[in-house]
Amino acid sequence: MPASYAILAEYETPAAVLHAAGKVRDAGYRHWDVFTPFPVHGMDGAMGIRNSKVGWFSFIGGCTGYTTGMLMIWFMNAYDYRIVIGGKPMFSPFAAFPPSYELTILFGAFGALLGMLFLNRLPRLHHPLLKNRRFAMATHDRFFVVIETSDPQYSEIETRQLLESLGSRHIEMVEE
Amino acid sequence: MSTNPHSAGRSGLELSKFRNLPVILIVAGAIGAGLGVAASGKGVTQFAFSWLLAFMFALSLCMGGLFLVIVHHLFDASWSVPTRRLCEHLACLLAPTMLILFLPIAILAKTIYPWMRLTNPDHAVQSKYPLFTTPGYYIASAILFGIWWLYSNRLRYWSLRQDETGSADCTRRMRFFAASGVVLFALTLTLAAILWMKGLMSEWYSTMYGVTYFAASIWVTLPTVYVITLILQRTTVLGNLVKEKTYYMLGSLFLAFTVFWAYVNFSQYFIIWNANMPEETFWYVLREKGTWDVVGKYIIIFGHFFIPFVMLLRIDFKLKLATMLPLAAWAWAMHFVDLEFQIMPAVHPNTILTPGLLSDLGCVLLFTGVLMIVFIRSLNRHPLYPLKDPRIAEAMDVYVPPAAEVSVTPQGAK
Amino acid sequence: MAAQPVLDERSLIKVQAPPASLEREPLVGSQHGPGWLSDRIAGVIEGETPGWWKISFAISVTMMTVCFALILYLMSTGVGIWGLQHPVMWGYAIINFVWWIGIGHAGTLISAILFLLRQRWRTSINRAAEAMTIFAVMCAGIFPLIHIGRIWYGWWLFPVPNSNGIWPQFRSPLMWDVFAVSTYFTVSVLFWYMGLIPDLAVMRDRAKTKIRKFSYGLFALGWTGSNRHWSNYEKAYLILAGLSTPLVLSVHSIVSLDFSVSQLPGWHTTIFPPYFVAGAVYSGFGMVLTLLVPLRRMLKLEEIITVRHVELMCKVTLATGSIVGYAYGMEFFIAWYSGNPYERFLFLQNRAADPFILGPLFHVPPAPYWWAFWTMVTCNVVVPQFFWFKKVRTSMLAVFFLSILVNVGMWFERFVIVITSLHREFLPSNWGYYGPTWVDILQFLGTFGLFFTFFLLFLRYIPLIAIAEVKGVTPQADPHHPLGGAKVGGKH
Repeated sequence: MPASYAILAEYETPAAVLHAAGKVRDAGYRHWDVFTPFPVHGMDGAMGIRNSKVGWFSFIGGCTGYTTGMLMIWFMNAYDYRIVIGGKPMFSPFAAFPPSYELTILFGAFGALLGMLFLNRLPRLHHPLLKNRRFAMATHDRFFVVIETSDPQYSEIETRQLLESLGSRHIEMVEE
Repeated sequence: MSTNPHSAGRSGLELSKFRNLPVILIVAGAIGAGLGVAASGKGVTQFAFSWLLAFMFALSLCMGGLFLVIVHHLFDASWSVPTRRLCEHLACLLAPTMLILFLPIAILAKTIYPWMRLTNPDHAVQSKYPLFTTPGYYIASAILFGIWWLYSNRLRYWSLRQDETGSADCTRRMRFFAASGVVLFALTLTLAAILWMKGLMSEWYSTMYGVTYFAASIWVTLPTVYVITLILQRTTVLGNLVKEKTYYMLGSLFLAFTVFWAYVNFSQYFIIWNANMPEETFWYVLREKGTWDVVGKYIIIFGHFFIPFVMLLRIDFKLKLATMLPLAAWAWAMHFVDLEFQIMPAVHPNTILTPGLLSDLGCVLLFTGVLMIVFIRSLNRHPLYPLKDPRIAEAMDVYVPPAAEVSVTPQGAK
Repeated sequence: MAAQPVLDERSLIKVQAPPASLEREPLVGSQHGPGWLSDRIAGVIEGETPGWWKISFAISVTMMTVCFALILYLMSTGVGIWGLQHPVMWGYAIINFVWWIGIGHAGTLISAILFLLRQRWRTSINRAAEAMTIFAVMCAGIFPLIHIGRIWYGWWLFPVPNSNGIWPQFRSPLMWDVFAVSTYFTVSVLFWYMGLIPDLAVMRDRAKTKIRKFSYGLFALGWTGSNRHWSNYEKAYLILAGLSTPLVLSVHSIVSLDFSVSQLPGWHTTIFPPYFVAGAVYSGFGMVLTLLVPLRRMLKLEEIITVRHVELMCKVTLATGSIVGYAYGMEFFIAWYSGNPYERFLFLQNRAADPFILGPLFHVPPAPYWWAFWTMVTCNVVVPQFFWFKKVRTSMLAVFFLSILVNVGMWFERFVIVITSLHREFLPSNWGYYGPTWVDILQFLGTFGLFFTFFLLFLRYIPLIAIAEVKGVTPQADPHHPLGGAKVGGKH
């Protein structure tokens, strides 16, 4: 028999899983997560998750984009090959602004998406939960609390009891 | 969202301490204006221009209030329920208070507007016939105040009626005035900006001008409303009503209008800069002389846009008194500088730093004091928030079953 | 200071439910739970291919083929096959470009700006609108590329030195356009794809066949619905919305700069950037309505894309149409106000003077394109005013019909801006008249083939409504609502 990866408890309403998450956090578990078909309002607070760091990726991307744009245009039009156009200055922050602005957004957007994927360690081709048949309902209309067996607090009996006491009607073990 | 960022430590602002503030402002303003006018050596011209600047400043706030009331109804919003009444009071300052304050401008119009003094109107003025004639100017001004009086007054009237009746009919009437009002709002604000401000240099034209004044007005109104709400919340029953989302939305709109203001001003400048046509560029060329150059290139770009923009990007900054109070003061200062940039090169072509600046500041203080008196009187006369607004439950994040009533304390539903 | 009715800090606030006639309508028409939504929306893809789909697809592909054939004809022959001739050297290509790209703006507005404004009704329509954006930008992108004539030199637009070592020059608004449009396309795709990830996971978990499971699973990137993931995801979504908002404003602003940085009356005016943005959103919402009003009926999604959604979109159309009307008004007003004879000539004698009223009134000959101008004004300023009336907003037939007029009007707006400004400018010896050729017209129609081909494929293979997002706005999703499992009397 393959090793257990985690214990999985199913809940039927967002209120129930929100309540359960708060209690699991208070019980001091660390390797655990909540799985919901949509982001449940207030869950970050209940789980004690800190503000996401995606913003930094995007910010750095945006700064890079703006600098790239300004330097590129200065280099091309005012340094490497100078051409006078319409009596305008060789380099002016005004004329260079629109493309640099666009690059700011472009790089910032890549920063946000790639930052999100990086922080979530995605793409991930294999996950023990995805093999579980019941778990397929996590994208449908069920809410799951999953506590990994690797959690130092984990105990086969007490953890199950905790999850049951929080109103779960279906609890099972997930194989590795 | 239900936790209230400002409810803790309610002692800070005690209104009674500031009871004399309006009078102090008026006296200080009058002294400042008097000294400034005397020192400027331009006499009544300086006074007229200072008064015009202060008037346009105050007009921004009143029009901003009217706009917030109108969009509240158009969007059927709930977050703005707690601020609606005070925006209605702000809008109602338009008439008669602002009308009375307009009288010096009406009397001194000839001193202010060069086109009025021309005995032989040039092409630029002639082509604006009949708007840019003396009767045209007064008739147009009267129409503006008439429309503002009608709409601000009706919107508040039905709002107060609803406090008593709670009927849906009042909401419907307010929506009617909001819907027709938003069209007239756009037209009248544009005309006001063109007639009273752009008309200072009648040869210049720009289709964006009305939008820039609109953007600036709403921009400065939002933090003002924020601070007024905050003060009322700490001292009155509003404290139980205002939730974080109201501050958050006001702060976000402040950010949005920071960007919008920069966007329209940049567009106007950029298009004129690129096309480089003398009939348009002269307006900006005049504003590149002396210290005006510093004002336009640095103070406005960084002060009016960049600093508020960067600060408001952070969510927590939008919710803290410690950041929003200075920002609101900063917005007032920047709006003042912006209006200086729009108006004053007509009298002081070389520098913003003249004794006239003192009289400009004095007039703004004086206006603030006068408007505060009328505003506080309105606040005291009527309930502080729309008592029976249909969205009040939603504004408070309370679930009320249909046809029921719930009393709420800061702790939650009872 | 007489009566001070409510100044006691401890006084209670009485909160009552709104009068029945002002109750908010629910965002999702039914009281079904989240599972029902998955079934309903995924059912569109999982069901049999409907007959109308096959027919429409065949027609679209045919039209698309015509479009590409004509591009080949253009490449082999040159732009002489178009109606361009002196002085109108910018014709259908640029009109179509601006028109299509404008349509795209509604998608970004719905997905980004309405998100920032906390307008939760957007969730039912944002996916389809974003798809529309992407395909519209694809259609738009074709035109600037082919209008350069020698398409094989298209790479000169990219920031690489050409064969003489010369770089593109960035003082030209056309270069700004390249950056704006390509950024717009890329970011729209990123945003769209990110929104899709949770829904692709839904499709993966529902899949019955191996191929479906594999392909949806591949693109779902292993999404599990973990709340730790949702937390980062929501932040990234917020940031992308925050970035897309200035992006969408900048794109059409930069498109407007193509015109407004010139010195030509009718092109050079400072209000162009916000005016173009409003017009773009206006036309985009027109197109969203044109697409979704029939679709919600054909795909039986009336409970998810409700009448309220249609009404709200009508209101946005009304608002943006009125802003466009304000801009038209300002252009005329300032042309008069400025006293600039060229401006005045353009607006009266190139555009507005019709042979019946204005022409005789001002004693001027009718403007050659007066019919185009008045079509534009009717469709863009008058038509949206019908949306003031609830009767019109709730009649699907009326909305569909008016939304088509919106699109017609916005096409004519670009026609008026491009053609009437160019055909008679400063020198009367330079005047001319422009008319399209059959190639112009067929090529324009052909882009509809391209658009609908992609859109139909989208309908068939990708959930056309953001499943996870719609679930999130139902009362069942709110842990503080009775339907979400909370005890009665809890918070909203």
